[in-house]
Amino acid sequence: MIRTVLKITLPICFGYLPLGVAFGMLFQELGYPWYFATLMGVFIYAGAAQFMAIGLLTASAGFVEIAIATFFLNSRHLFYGLALLNSFGNWGFRKLYLIFGLTDEVYALMSTIEVPEGYDKSKFYFLMTLFSQSYWVLGCTIGAWTATQLTFNTQGMEFAATALFTVLLIEQWIKVRKPLPFVIALIASAIALLLFAQHMLLFAISLSLIMMMVLRSTNQKVRDEY
Amino acid sequence: MNIEYLVIVIVIMSLATFATRLPPFVLFSGREKHPLLQFVAKYTPPMVMTILVIYMLKGVDFLAMEGLYAFAALAITIAFHLWKRNALLSICVGTSFYMMAVQW
Repeated sequence: MIRTVLKITLPICFGYLPLGVAFGMLFQELGYPWYFATLMGVFIYAGAAQFMAIGLLTASAGFVEIAIATFFLNSRHLFYGLALLNSFGNWGFRKLYLIFGLTDEVYALMSTIEVPEGYDKSKFYFLMTLFSQSYWVLGCTIGAWTATQLTFNTQGMEFAATALFTVLLIEQWIKVRKPLPFVIALIASAIALLLFAQHMLLFAISLSLIMMMVLRSTNQKVRDEY
Repeated sequence: MNIEYLVIVIVIMSLATFATRLPPFVLFSGREKHPLLQFVAKYTPPMVMTILVIYMLKGVDFLAMEGLYAFAALAITIAFHLWKRNALLSICVGTSFYMMAVQW
């Protein structure tokens, strides 16, 4: 099982390692001990929010402001659990950890792939989440630790995340085979980019969900086919 | 540099992040079989994936060389995936191409 999960999560590794390293390098410029970069990866575990934290720490932002900014930056995650309600069983603490570790990449992978035949689902998901977080924590640590001595040129490696989402988009197409959700998402993205470029993800996801539900309740054809 | 401040910030950010991932599981626990929820569960992933891809590409300047590289890397990733349907391979080939192109 470990080998299978490693193979499945390797694309996440390519995305998280360089991004984590970039975070660690920026973070150590603040002058804190390196292991706080590790702790942030362990406890916060949110890429964009951690990058934002660097700015907030520099500005000595207030706690309320930090709480609100973090919540809104990550609020797209509010929708991710919806697709996984059925996939997660009552697995106690293991389930809590899965929810804690539901990042963009892990969600994308979990909502697209099927757990291979013969594997325990809760263990499989648990390892997927654990490995993904490990790549991130490792990246944060290496970045903060070795900031000045890094020799490997990782420029361009961030494309791995784009490639991962693209591959999963193709897989979603193969799975769903109906154009409507993709077309709606395109329209919602265009509107979001025009109106709310700053909060594009949250706005586009909410809008596409609303559009999809309105279509379902007003259009008989949509209700029958989808 | 203030360690106490940093520790509180880490705690607050951890809780705020968790607070965005937990609600669906609390609000809809036991109602997984509801037809509307099933519908939402089925169609959020394709929509979110489409939006994530657009989001990742929105910062790319498609009139500069970088845009050409990104476009080519994307085409390679898609072509490999349609051909072999091996996610890891498609991602590795596309990403390696992009890295070589921008580091050249």
